[in-house]
Amino acid sequence: MPSLHIILTTSFIITLVILISPVFTSILYKSLNPIWHTHHIKTAVKMAFFTSLLPLFLHVHTGTELTITNLHWMNIMTFDINTSIKLDHLSITFVPIALYVTWAILEFASWYMKSDPNINQFFKFLLIFLIAMVTLVTANNMFQLFIGWEGVGIMSFLLIGWWWARADANTAALQAVLYNRVGDVGLIFALGWMATNLNSWEMQQMFITAKSLDMNAPVIGLILAATGKSAQFGLHPWLPSAMEGPTPVSALLHSSTMVVAGIFLLVRLMPLMQDNPFALTTCLILGALTTLFTTICALTQNDIKKIIAFSTSSQLGLMMVTIGLNQPYLAFLHICTHAFFKAMLFLCSRVIIHALKNEQDIRKMGGLHYLIPTTTSCLTIGSLALMGTPFLAGFFSKDAIIEALNNSYLNAWALALTLLATSLTAAYSLRMIFFVYMNFPRFPALSPINENIKSITNPLKRLAWGTILAGLLMTCAVLPPKPPMLSMPPYIKLTALVITILGLTIALELALFTNKQRPYMPKQYFYFSTMLGYYPTIMHRFFPYTFLKLSQTIASMTIDQTSLEKTGPKTITSLNLSLATTTSNIQKGMNKTFLSLFFTTLMIIILLNYY
Amino acid sequence: MTPIQMTFSTNFLLGLMGLTFHRTHLLSALLRLESMMLSLFLATSLWALQLSTINIATVPMLVLAFSACSASSGLRLLVATARTHGSDHMQNLNLLQC
Repeated sequence: MPSLHIILTTSFIITLVILISPVFTSILYKSLNPIWHTHHIKTAVKMAFFTSLLPLFLHVHTGTELTITNLHWMNIMTFDINTSIKLDHLSITFVPIALYVTWAILEFASWYMKSDPNINQFFKFLLIFLIAMVTLVTANNMFQLFIGWEGVGIMSFLLIGWWWARADANTAALQAVLYNRVGDVGLIFALGWMATNLNSWEMQQMFITAKSLDMNAPVIGLILAATGKSAQFGLHPWLPSAMEGPTPVSALLHSSTMVVAGIFLLVRLMPLMQDNPFALTTCLILGALTTLFTTICALTQNDIKKIIAFSTSSQLGLMMVTIGLNQPYLAFLHICTHAFFKAMLFLCSRVIIHALKNEQDIRKMGGLHYLIPTTTSCLTIGSLALMGTPFLAGFFSKDAIIEALNNSYLNAWALALTLLATSLTAAYSLRMIFFVYMNFPRFPALSPINENIKSITNPLKRLAWGTILAGLLMTCAVLPPKPPMLSMPPYIKLTALVITILGLTIALELALFTNKQRPYMPKQYFYFSTMLGYYPTIMHRFFPYTFLKLSQTIASMTIDQTSLEKTGPKTITSLNLSLATTTSNIQKGMNKTFLSLFFTTLMIIILLNYY
Repeated sequence: MTPIQMTFSTNFLLGLMGLTFHRTHLLSALLRLESMMLSLFLATSLWALQLSTINIATVPMLVLAFSACSASSGLRLLVATARTHGSDHMQNLNLLQC
């Protein structure tokens, strides 16, 4: 096929231009119709999706990958920074998926945020977020990636705090920014290390020159950055708190696109890490810990959005485990398939919450299966895909990860934790389904249950199609770069399936206990899970208190008190005061007597001298 | 002793006696101090003139300057006493013994 590179380049640039143009037109002129802008942006994203399919098909057909280096931005002596777009397998596959999910979410948001007076600004924020995400994904040098990284962080802050009059939303947005910032420290350290030791921020040069160096330091910085952005254990509380934002924000940022940026960074820079066993072990253990911890926390949450948030967090832990297994392709596959069903789960949950008049507690839902059948069917499909049901989207990535885990010679403890987390995933998914739409209704009778609106069902149906087909299409289209283990005993091959079914049945039995009139004696075993492992309680109170108290002590005692009261003006006062008090205590007065004595003594001495 | 020497010596002694044996007013003590300073001025300037030593020719000027300073500080204390105690009676200045 002639001029393949020109077609690929041009179509991708057209995609970017279609995405960026609504930002500029909104600045240049305002239309009379207040919601003109939302249709404009949604259509732009739809057109950009269809345009980005062309590079995808070309890549799948011919395996073309290319890098576009546009302009030489700046240089500091021998250190060049360009704007370059790298279209390799990762970015060409991810951009259409992100655009597809965003299209569905924007269509949903045009119904959900219809009564919001600032709906145009909301859509513009989502668009700017999407542009930052595309910048991050297609970056060929670390500087452009950092721009995208910070861009998604800031847009996440603005979007979580969208309803800024609510104190909880502001706290959650601030929490997100702070935890992301801690991770950014790692990224900036890695950037600095690479600038000074590898003399470039271009990925190709970094990969070549890093072969002979000891890469422990920057790689730990990169893992810290991924911990912050992808909510691994230690920097994870911002993700469940980020559910304070509107659901389109949760569906786009905190399930499909932004939180996978950290994992994407590690996948992109995998050549730096794959020969470093320390880094791989760190990723493995961190990921295993995250996935088990957040799954345990999801088991006892009563807010449907928090359950889905914790399920996102545990899938991110699973992606981190995959990176620790030195399988970046599988991690990327899981990123792509996870985007579909997680966004769909968020949208379904929002429809359910809206149908029950903003009731988010699953203990007050029930029996919705006959009332909103489309939504609950999509919820079922999404949950099944999450559990790794064979031949849905989640199966191709999750089962491959579990197989790779079972066939590796790595840390058995991490393996055991991940398997346990997989079965618990099935358990909390079943718990969510059971409480949301099985059995009988537990909500008041007058509820505005309506899902006959096209803007709701069309996105859900599109995402459902994606959930069913995406895994199959991606696995059939591209050969995995690392050969998978193809022969193993049957019990290893069926591990994922067996433990999922085990988790499902045990959870179903436990959930049906509520119908069987057993005496309920509350035990304290699950306080750890309900309180999210006490992690936010400890970290958010103890450490800030210690630091603030220390700084107050330094500022007030060592600086103010020392300079003013111990060595400065007040010392003079207090010293003089004590001297004067002592002296006046000794003095008796009687100055007439003293002076007379003085004169008499003087005369005696003078007269004695003359004798 | 020349008559002039006897004059300023007597002046000094009388001022000293007045300073030590004052009775009621602080102002009288200050006046005595001034007369002592005056006699000292006279003495040092006569010393410089009669014995023709140039080295101490500046001393009378210094004595005058310092006496002016001490007089002003004494007057300030007098005003402060008048403010706090209402008058400059010496018997008021003794806090510990009535």
